[in-house]
Amino acid sequence: MSGPLDAFYSSLRSLLPFDWAQPAFMLNALLIVLVLAPICAAMGVKVVNNRMAFFSDAISHSAFTGVVLGYLLVPLAARSYPNIQHWDLILPPLTLAVFGVAVGAGITAVRHRTTLPTDTVIGVFFASVIALGIAVISRNNLRGDFERYLYGSIVIAGRIDVLITWSLAAVVLLFLALSFNRLMLIALNESLARSRGIATTAFDYAFSALLALVVTFSIRTVGLLLVTAMLVVPAAAARNIARSAGGMFWWAVAFGLASGLTGLIISFYADTPAGATIILLAAVCFIASMLASAVRPRAAA
Amino acid sequence: MNRDCCTTNVATPAVTVRDVNVQLAGQNVLSNVNADFPTGELTALIGPNGAGKTTLLKVLLNQLPHTGQVRFTQINGHTPRIGYVPQSLDFDRGAPIRVIDVMCSQLQHRALWLGISSSARKAAAAALDRIGASKLLDRRLGQLSGGELQRVLLAMALLLQPDILLLDEPVAGVDMAGVGMFCDILAQLQRELKCTMILVSHDMSVTTAHASYVVCMNKTVHCQGRTIDTLTPENLQAIYGPLAALHHHAHSHEGAGHSHGAHDHPDLHGHHHNH
Repeated sequence: MSGPLDAFYSSLRSLLPFDWAQPAFMLNALLIVLVLAPICAAMGVKVVNNRMAFFSDAISHSAFTGVVLGYLLVPLAARSYPNIQHWDLILPPLTLAVFGVAVGAGITAVRHRTTLPTDTVIGVFFASVIALGIAVISRNNLRGDFERYLYGSIVIAGRIDVLITWSLAAVVLLFLALSFNRLMLIALNESLARSRGIATTAFDYAFSALLALVVTFSIRTVGLLLVTAMLVVPAAAARNIARSAGGMFWWAVAFGLASGLTGLIISFYADTPAGATIILLAAVCFIASMLASAVRPRAAA
Repeated sequence: MNRDCCTTNVATPAVTVRDVNVQLAGQNVLSNVNADFPTGELTALIGPNGAGKTTLLKVLLNQLPHTGQVRFTQINGHTPRIGYVPQSLDFDRGAPIRVIDVMCSQLQHRALWLGISSSARKAAAAALDRIGASKLLDRRLGQLSGGELQRVLLAMALLLQPDILLLDEPVAGVDMAGVGMFCDILAQLQRELKCTMILVSHDMSVTTAHASYVVCMNKTVHCQGRTIDTLTPENLQAIYGPLAALHHHAHSHEGAGHSHGAHDHPDLHGHHHNH
């Protein structure tokens, strides 16, 4: 590909003179995990504090249907634009992201318009969307690389994936820098936030959409079964030992980064899937944080 | 029928509510609400559960679709600033969120994870200090008692330098000592700031002891006026039903700190608690 990018990769190789850092796929994986893990953890802080783990689960599982719809469109696209190759690689990730954001917006819209408890709304969406995916698959006898999305496979990520991930990370970072405080007030009491001039509905949609994007992008790394853990586990570990709202953010980022990088390296030598290894290491962080908070003397309540 | 009861014309209302109706899911939650809230006084908005007190507060905050008119009297050419004190916060009690985090999330735009500015910290400390709660600054939100949390929420509202304070059941679920302390703080603020306060309450003793004006409602406003003239057994019965007199009587005897019942015309301004 382009010259400067090649130079960057080869300097990265010489900077990291280890076996694991030599293959191109590992360098791509490293560059993705380097930003995706901390970004997921940072969004996870909001997910944990706003009790949105189930929302994230619903998005990731409905991503399955997004992928199915993508494969459904592949023959159609190939007929219309025969000059473009590999529609089966382009379309499913695209429909996955679009569908994920749409489901997120749908859940948010229904939640705003009914008095139903949030988990009930999510449960209804969750089941209906997956049912749709299953129905479409079996009616059309679809064949596709569904396993890639179920379990994730970071090692087949290319430079384009690196680019997309870094762009997404920049957007998320900017969003969390600009709206972290306001999101906190909204979560504490929506009326209070509105009385302080915060456009709570707009923030709610923006956060849901961004969370849906993060979830759908992470699916390619850790798989839709594990993506919620990527958000929730580092943040949950951070909750155990942090002493302030800002501290929880940085602990989560640190746990995310540490488990992401060590998980990736271990997976190379242990021949395990990278996504699962990363989550296992995050779980180790969580257990360590539990022990640390149990040992630490508590301030009297 | 309730018009002739005691629609008082308030000389200088801070807020005027006219013919306000609110429908939620096809049900009339508020119908034809007319009320005046006098400037610079503490008005208690009382009524049984489900009377629409909080709904009316949300209408004043312009957070609910309604028909009718809500007019705020301009203060020096600007619309009055409203400080809203909610009944509670919804949070994970184990979350590492400190009082200062919440206060500064309102004070500074810079994300909390990029650090709390020293000016925000100072402002938060000053607001707590004003109501005698400076020791709460670095405490965790989840460790606060109901009364302490209310004081923090009040301090947050004070940071806005409000012309009107709206308080939603501030002493619900707060113990007697906490109620007394909170009421003393309100009385003190009332003297210092001269701001208009509207307090939603179903607790008669608090109302009678501290509010100079009352609005009694149940879906609609049944009566309003000076506390002494308005909290009569007849009016209470009209909104709370036949058991009201009993309910009211019981309240006037419970808790030595609030020994005034409506029957013996409380001394509204020079009231002090015996802690």
